Amino acid sequence: MITRRISISAPIILAVYVLQESVINQFHFPGGGFSLFSILALIWAVLSRPEIAALCGFFAGLLMDFSQSSGGPIGQWSLIMIAACYAISYFGSGNESLASNPLGVTFLVTIVFFLAELTYVASGALLGVQMGEISQTAITLIGMSLWTLAVTPLSLPVFSRLHGLAFDKRSAI
Amino acid sequence: MRKGSEGRNRLLLITLVITALFLITLDLRGVGLLNGARQGTQTILTPFQRAGNVVVAPFKNFLSDITHLGRSRAQIERLRADNAKLEVQLLNRANADAQLIQLKSILNLAGTAGYKIVNARVISQGSSQSFSQVITIDAGTTAGIKTNMTVISQSGLTGVVKEAYSNSATIMLASDPTFRIGVRIAGSQQIGILSGRGNRSASLQLLDNQTSVKVGDILLSRGSVSNRPFVPGVPVGYVTAIDNSAGAIAQSATVHLYTDFSILGVVAVVIAAPVINPGDALVPAKPQPTPVPTVTIYVTPSPTPTN
Repeated sequence: MITRRISISAPIILAVYVLQESVINQFHFPGGGFSLFSILALIWAVLSRPEIAALCGFFAGLLMDFSQSSGGPIGQWSLIMIAACYAISYFGSGNESLASNPLGVTFLVTIVFFLAELTYVASGALLGVQMGEISQTAITLIGMSLWTLAVTPLSLPVFSRLHGLAFDKRSAI
Repeated sequence: MRKGSEGRNRLLLITLVITALFLITLDLRGVGLLNGARQGTQTILTPFQRAGNVVVAPFKNFLSDITHLGRSRAQIERLRADNAKLEVQLLNRANADAQLIQLKSILNLAGTAGYKIVNARVISQGSSQSFSQVITIDAGTTAGIKTNMTVISQSGLTGVVKEAYSNSATIMLASDPTFRIGVRIAGSQQIGILSGRGNRSASLQLLDNQTSVKVGDILLSRGSVSNRPFVPGVPVGYVTAIDNSAGAIAQSATVHLYTDFSILGVVAVVIAAPVINPGDALVPAKPQPTPVPTVTIYVTPSPTPTN
């Protein structure tokens, strides 16, 4: 069962990662744009159990660490995404009305995304990663969160169906 | 059962966190393996990124145009204005370059003869409505220019100052039909009167019926009393044709003037002539004729065939 889930999930996650790196990253959206890959990882997590979410977060974070656009040390995003995905899954599974409500998922994903980014900035500062001016960082942080708020409802039906396909769930959000 | 599952989950979580911390530590300590992993990922992604760039480019430009619509329009306007300014500058530059070449030649000419000159730019070509050949220059009496002063260009005589104002002057060109100048032939020193014809050719009337002129003879200005209106020694033109009409008292000829009046950009007004007459010092070098290759063909007749 686990092997089947992984064999279906892995190509989906990798495909979205490639899409993010080769297509979406080429656009210069105002306010920093959005990370479809992060959104996928968080949606995947919110629909999964906490341990699966943590595992998903680890591998998603590892791929984000491998990205050329990542300025921090390898493992930084992994650590943050483990915490973010575990937390989102924990809150989601603890509150069924939130996890099954598209609006609730959207807000949850946006908030967790914002906190994850904030943690990345804070931990990056501690690790000596150059982040640029505070005002610019703040604008990017807010801009990306707003983009996440806009893109999550659009991508949620697709990712939810894919998650249902991988985890053999009949119902999808 | 549930306890065991929770324990496994906790163990998994702890393992993942420790792994992440381990990776951070390794990376901060500069372990090459991790850098290699990042490079490897990028190597794998590069073809996808290239393909993505090709596919995305039109949309990217479109999106960029939309997001920067106001800015793009302002930028286009600014670039248009800059372009127009640069075009004018380029035009002026080309004009200035041409004028510089003319000016250098004038200075060479004036320097050789020892003329004291005032350089001026041609600011207006006179209207041909009245059939006169005049130009206006941007220097006048404040620069020391007075009426009846010789005006030269890079090639030689241009004309004479007809009217001088405070900051401009009107020049009668040597091509003007009313223009007259006393000339002498370089070398032989024969003298004559040159008259303008309205174009680049002029008429020469020799004063002495005992002398003769030949094609190619170079004419220089004779000079006037007190060097006004003409200073001596300025190249005027060269003889292109001789008029040997029967019954004429003295020989006349057609002269090609050195100055090209259609491209005058900068001229110089001679405000003082040298103490010593420059004589033939300003005679321009004769143009070197282009050698024409001569081909000699020797024909050896073959014996006539007999049947």
